[in-house]
Amino acid sequence: MSDLRRIDETLWEIPKEARADMRVPARVFADEELLDAISTDSSLEQLQNVATLPGIVDAALAMPDIHQGYGFPVGGVAAIELPDGVVSPGGVGYDINCGVRLLAAPFSEAELGQRRERLVHELSRRIPAGTGRGGPLDLRGADLERVLRDGPKALVETRGIGSEDDIERTESRGCLEDADPAAVSERARERGGGQLGTAGSGNHFVEVQRVARILDAPAAEAFGLQEGQVTILIHSGSRGLGHQVCTDYVKRMDAAIARHGIELPDRQLACAPASSPEGRAYLAAMAAAANFAWANRHAIAHRVRESIAQVLGERDAAATRQVYDVAHNVAKAERHEGRDVLVHRKGATRAFPAGSDEIPADYWDHGQPVFIPGSMGTSSFVLAGEAGSMRRSFGTTCHGAGRRMSRTGARKQIGGAELRRELEARGIVVRCPSNRGLAEEAPFAYKDVERVVEIVERAGLARRVAQLVPIGVVKG
Amino acid sequence: MTYRWVEHTAELELEVDADTERGVFADAVAAFAELLGDDGRGELETRDVEASGHDRSALLADWLEELIFLADTEGFTPEHLAEIDLGGDRARAVVAGRRGQPPPLVKAVTYHGLEFRQEHGRWRARVVLDV
Repeated sequence: MSDLRRIDETLWEIPKEARADMRVPARVFADEELLDAISTDSSLEQLQNVATLPGIVDAALAMPDIHQGYGFPVGGVAAIELPDGVVSPGGVGYDINCGVRLLAAPFSEAELGQRRERLVHELSRRIPAGTGRGGPLDLRGADLERVLRDGPKALVETRGIGSEDDIERTESRGCLEDADPAAVSERARERGGGQLGTAGSGNHFVEVQRVARILDAPAAEAFGLQEGQVTILIHSGSRGLGHQVCTDYVKRMDAAIARHGIELPDRQLACAPASSPEGRAYLAAMAAAANFAWANRHAIAHRVRESIAQVLGERDAAATRQVYDVAHNVAKAERHEGRDVLVHRKGATRAFPAGSDEIPADYWDHGQPVFIPGSMGTSSFVLAGEAGSMRRSFGTTCHGAGRRMSRTGARKQIGGAELRRELEARGIVVRCPSNRGLAEEAPFAYKDVERVVEIVERAGLARRVAQLVPIGVVKG
Repeated sequence: MTYRWVEHTAELELEVDADTERGVFADAVAAFAELLGDDGRGELETRDVEASGHDRSALLADWLEELIFLADTEGFTPEHLAEIDLGGDRARAVVAGRRGQPPPLVKAVTYHGLEFRQEHGRWRARVVLDV
């Protein structure tokens, strides 16, 4: 793109003059090679579209794992001034509070030994992809209401699932306080109420891993990670409930756009002033769906501990500790450089630095843990938030490798059965009901996660703490 | 009757090209039937599907949302469109299909690049699905 100019080693900018409707510049964290991959789809045009949103401040930002989405690009960040700037449901996405949770097991890969296959099998049996009614935790009425209002705390208090420790080690303690269950439609409840404890499909997974390399020993020690240790990474979100909340409010805001006098280059950016009735209702419903998503990953973590209990015993299950849980699709009211802003993170992760009040006391000296899943079969990374994120990206870093190839493109290059054999030849146990779904998530369909995390480290947004490699994958 | 899936980095883009407006809705059902690809062991059943939208493309999006809702809540995989009554901002239809365990593949119908228009006597529609 000819308008793109380099600001520094890791930052590129399209100035706001590039298009008459841009209110701020569009900026991307990348290097030349990632930028080449990014330029092959329409993600930069989508980022410029984000720069047109009323109330956006500084710049529409993109992380190095940016790829084409719908409305917002995936990997996009927009901070919008409160109270009169807009909120855009599409800027959060359909999978509200999609995110990742990391559990650290009290045993090494060597100690797990030949029980690995049984553990992966047990995980696949207990954590369904989930469709229709009758999931492992079918919540209705007042029980669902409490989850929407309080998040995982409701499961700890009413069902004895998980612990207060888990909640302490969850972003926002697993609860956005502005949640109002009344703003969540009956349809959303009907769609998602039976899906708590299910992973969903697409790129969602539960992965068993080994800590392959420690890159920051003091932070790794604080996070409870050591080389050779087994970890379990859970990637899921708010399931049908969140999808329906977004659907409901995109439709409602699309219909009201003219009334608010807003013109948009893409209908999926449908938005309303955060202070308007539509804006307030969406934020209350989004917060409830975010709480539901944290409860979902909390319920999945419970199933992981049950699986460990079954295969390795109760003691190991009880000693499996939650490292942290981060959201990567959410909008949060935060204060940055003296301004109250609503930070939309669409495929981007909060990465607050050491000393932030928002992170657990145990991690205070090291920064907030962030988990960056690689593509299936490749490394994932544990990062810690750095001070640069507050200056440069509204306290945000990347969220994953980022797709570079379409699903059909991936399927044309490899069959699911062949990929399954390849992964197993590399010592990764795979459980996935669909060969098609497996092929779509082939590692080569994604950007190189190591390059992505290197860029955010060089940009000062977050630093690497540990590298994790997969030894077992359960895919939805 | 024609539809096709268009390349998109992360999502699924559906293009429909039909003789009539009704044909667009019928082709969209066929596309969903292919996508959800369930083995459909249940009996053939019908569902009433109603949708609303302030323009035709929003109406199509809302209508497809109904199909996702039925798949998500009842495991209902559509096979074909049996009847449809298209009003100005409403659609009332009967869809035939079977109950099974379709994959929870489609999260939502987006408004990104959403189109429903008449061109050279044909009806063309485009929707991007979040998967």
